[in-house]
Amino acid sequence: MSPHSTPLPKAAAETQLIARAQKGDEEAFAALFEAHKRRVYSLCLRMTGNTAEAEDLTQEAFLQLFRKIATFRGESAFSTWLHRLAVNVVLMHLRKKGLQQISLDETDTSQEEPVKRDYGDDDRRLVGSIDRVSLTRVIADLPPGYRAVFVLHDIEGYEHNEIAEIMHCSVGNSKSQLHKARLKLRDWLKEDRRKEFPGATIPVDKPNGKGLR
Amino acid sequence: MAEGDFRQNPGCAQFDRELMDYLEGEARPFVSTHARECAFCSVLLADLEQVRFSVRQLPLQEPSPVVWANLHARLEQEGVFRPSVRGWGWWESLRALARPAPLGALSSLALLGVMFIATPSALQLPETAASASSAPQAAVVASASFPEDRELARMTQDLEDTFRANEGLLAPDTRATYEKGLTSLDDSIRECKDSLRQKPDNTLAQDYLLTAYTRKAEILTSALEFQGR
Repeated sequence: MSPHSTPLPKAAAETQLIARAQKGDEEAFAALFEAHKRRVYSLCLRMTGNTAEAEDLTQEAFLQLFRKIATFRGESAFSTWLHRLAVNVVLMHLRKKGLQQISLDETDTSQEEPVKRDYGDDDRRLVGSIDRVSLTRVIADLPPGYRAVFVLHDIEGYEHNEIAEIMHCSVGNSKSQLHKARLKLRDWLKEDRRKEFPGATIPVDKPNGKGLR
Repeated sequence: MAEGDFRQNPGCAQFDRELMDYLEGEARPFVSTHARECAFCSVLLADLEQVRFSVRQLPLQEPSPVVWANLHARLEQEGVFRPSVRGWGWWESLRALARPAPLGALSSLALLGVMFIATPSALQLPETAASASSAPQAAVVASASFPEDRELARMTQDLEDTFRANEGLLAPDTRATYEKGLTSLDDSIRECKDSLRQKPDNTLAQDYLLTAYTRKAEILTSALEFQGR
């Protein structure tokens, strides 16, 4: 796994904190929570698209972590252990909610849809124009299965083989769902731009020296 | 040319077939070659790369202090902590959230939140609202535009004024913890308002704005409780 690294605390300091937490040191629990809370919460928020659920799941992930911390032996990085645990907590939650889309093998419909292209005045590049709130919203609007793969791969940095293992699907399926998720996000963001700038004409680069319109 | 006509171009069809693997980092020279020749496919490729780039820039989000308050209470209840090694000064500030007085204040905020939810247009800001502000925190709440929004902003501002008047009572590290949280929330409020000015019907921005105000009030309530001890 190659997720974004957690800068604080440093590895040695974190090892000490873990050892103290394993002895029931409240300060160490608080420090570990402080160091990892933003990444775990952001993961939960992007996987669910809902702040209340994300907070509950963050709490649940850390609760499970602290209950099990005595069993942590350091074979893997602590952050890897924690984030895998958080991912499992979220996926369990989504499955309990009856979101069948979370099972990727049931939703794989690869190859049947052509990639959309817009022509004429609607063909505007997204480059430099993606608003964070809009992006967050469209990610939240993705079907849960697509969203899970997209968040795990493009945001959290998991590899497809890891996603396949976590989500009980094939590597090819993970790749396919990710590609579709990106295409959907692209379509929705372009749609947002059309609503935002109706009738506007935004020049498109012409790499071959020929115009689009 | 109508949408879908690209399939008449075998190059675009091959581009589609190889695009996914290309984005996965596989060597697919046809994709980049074709993108240089076809403006439509070039735009598609640039868009997908921009989406991939943009999501990596999304900032991490800060959970509410209530998450740790609840978690702490559960761990304490389960006897996970050892009594001999308890207590961190700065952390004691957040534990105030589990006390009765702040919970009373939070109940009031929750009621106010219900008012928001019952008024769908409550958080929609008009296009003519004040432009994005880089001014200090007070400007964040002062630019509220609807009655309920103004009321919540006013309550938050009152809490903040009281907090500022007494912030000298807090230890520097405790104050720094609160300041960090407040600054982050003010940034969120500002960002949501910027988005709502551009898209008043952005419901996610509306939700985030309400949440940010509520969390700011929670933190200030916690800080005031701590100052009063």
